[in-house]
Amino acid sequence: MKKAIIKMKDLWKTYHMGETTLDALKEINLEIYQGEFFTILGHSGSGKSTMLNMVGSLDLPTKGKIFLDGIDISTLHESDLAQLRGKKIGLVFQSFNLIPSLTALENVSLPMIFQGQDKNTRDSKSKELLSLVGLSSRMTHKASQLSGGEKQRVAIARALSNNPEVILADEPTGNLDSKTGAEIMNIFEDLHKNHNRTIIMVTHDIGLVKGSDRSCYLSDGKIIKVSKNIKEIKEMVIKK
Amino acid sequence: MIQDYISLAIGNLKHKRVRSLLTIIGIVIGIGAIIALISVSQGLENSIKEQFELFGKDRILIGPKGFQGPGTVSEGLTTKDVDTIENLGEFEYVTYFLSRTAEIERKNQVKFALATSYPAEDVEKAFGDIDIDVKSGRFFTKGEKFSAILGSRAASELFDEDVRVRNKIKIAGSSFEVIGILENIGNPQDDNIIIIPIEAAREIFNEPDKVEGIMAQVKPGVDIQETQSRIERALKRARDDENFQVLTPTQILEQINQVLGVVQVVLVGIAAISLVVGGIGIMNSMYTSVLERTKEIGIMKAIGAKNKDILLIFLIESGFLGIIGGFFGVLLGLGIGKLVGVIAFQSGFQFLKIEVNFSLIIFGLIFAFFVGMISGAIPAYQASKLKPVDALKYE
Repeated sequence: MKKAIIKMKDLWKTYHMGETTLDALKEINLEIYQGEFFTILGHSGSGKSTMLNMVGSLDLPTKGKIFLDGIDISTLHESDLAQLRGKKIGLVFQSFNLIPSLTALENVSLPMIFQGQDKNTRDSKSKELLSLVGLSSRMTHKASQLSGGEKQRVAIARALSNNPEVILADEPTGNLDSKTGAEIMNIFEDLHKNHNRTIIMVTHDIGLVKGSDRSCYLSDGKIIKVSKNIKEIKEMVIKK
Repeated sequence: MIQDYISLAIGNLKHKRVRSLLTIIGIVIGIGAIIALISVSQGLENSIKEQFELFGKDRILIGPKGFQGPGTVSEGLTTKDVDTIENLGEFEYVTYFLSRTAEIERKNQVKFALATSYPAEDVEKAFGDIDIDVKSGRFFTKGEKFSAILGSRAASELFDEDVRVRNKIKIAGSSFEVIGILENIGNPQDDNIIIIPIEAAREIFNEPDKVEGIMAQVKPGVDIQETQSRIERALKRARDDENFQVLTPTQILEQINQVLGVVQVVLVGIAAISLVVGGIGIMNSMYTSVLERTKEIGIMKAIGAKNKDILLIFLIESGFLGIIGGFFGVLLGLGIGKLVGVIAFQSGFQFLKIEVNFSLIIFGLIFAFFVGMISGAIPAYQASKLKPVDALKYE
């Protein structure tokens, strides 16, 4: 049996804005397995990003439990959560979220600093990862001097730096043109197929989703459908 | 790890160079002012002490109440009091002086200056005791009257033309022959002295028996404080009043140091205000920095930075602003101190020596570092408490 790396149980997230309350996630029950490429599809406001934030332990649920590699993260303190996040999760964002004043190499090294790795290990690992994403010639460039596609490659290398269990990608192609977007998507597919990485991706760019093992369709904070058949999910998205 | 944070912090400071520089200037001024004021007043204190040691520890000074030194207008003592003190015995010698501001004339050039008079035969002893000799000419001989001895500055700077031995000058209308020039003493007050025999002063100033101050040189081995109280008792008995005071050099030094201490506290207090302003500058800069870098903080937290890490990065950053400011502040302060020393030297205060005090430098640096850290503490704490989701959303 496959090992569930992420397990969400009766998960609710409620936001309070003045007198109104908004249930961003309602009764989510979902397991994501090790080595899986899992796509979360849905329209904007459907709760995709909220769910990803929960999985990424960037935010805590209002109700319910969420397990990361068997650890209930809703019970952890902030520092332990940060430590766990740095070690087990690699995040890739739509807006890249690099530190502009640092070089590509330094950006990739940063998560390893917070895990207490020494400089030599950091440097060799960062160089290796930047070569993997095809950026060996741009290592000493400041993040602010890179193009969008290059930035996202650096971000992917950074997400891999602590050898995480899960890579979470929130609309990673959303700020890129379709050609660059496809290139980035190829990197994720390569990581999944050839490096056996667990990838959870949120996207509404359904044209780009090809190599995913399973997908789910989220609407109004609820999981409407989980399916191995990506076509089925895509149709639901288009119909809506 | 700390090393990595330090390089991160330095990178951030370099990134916003102009703001870092402006923030640092605030600290430079504060620390600079404090270091300059402390080193100048310390130099002053040491120099005054040195001067008093020069003056001699075995001298007792008797003056009217409120006596502040030669040249101040004072009433009360007469030659009778000198006799009272002399009659106590126990002294190497007792001498006294009378001084008046008078018209000093040479070759039709008229100046106003202070003429100080001593009994003619005492001048050589009184100056010899504090190791001051004439650099040319001689001291008075007993019974000499219309002769004058000039301090080195009085000889070289009072008139357009230098005054030499055997030149004539007029004091309050009477003609005097300059018979000696003193060697350099090191402070303008002493070097501007014009000394005449008291017999002449009594005549030209029409003061038959007045005395402004009495100096009693105690014999070696005699208890100076005991002698001091004996003089007090004798004078009280003879005069039947208490309009006089008997001071030892140590007491005078204490009085001066007290005044100096108050001045020092006030000045350093004022300088400390500028340091507080500098600290607020750091706080302001760090607040802006936290706000500007909210998103960065979110990113760092998202990739595994703990609250403690963020706190450290920002504290190191503000500590650095402090310590760099402190470093240049110390340099500035010492520079100003030295400059004051040079200016003082050129204006005749040659005794004022400004020394580089290492503990003061260390104090300045550590103090500046803490000012930086403390000012950065609240912004850094706020930064560390940001929630990753909220910080990431910040644009």
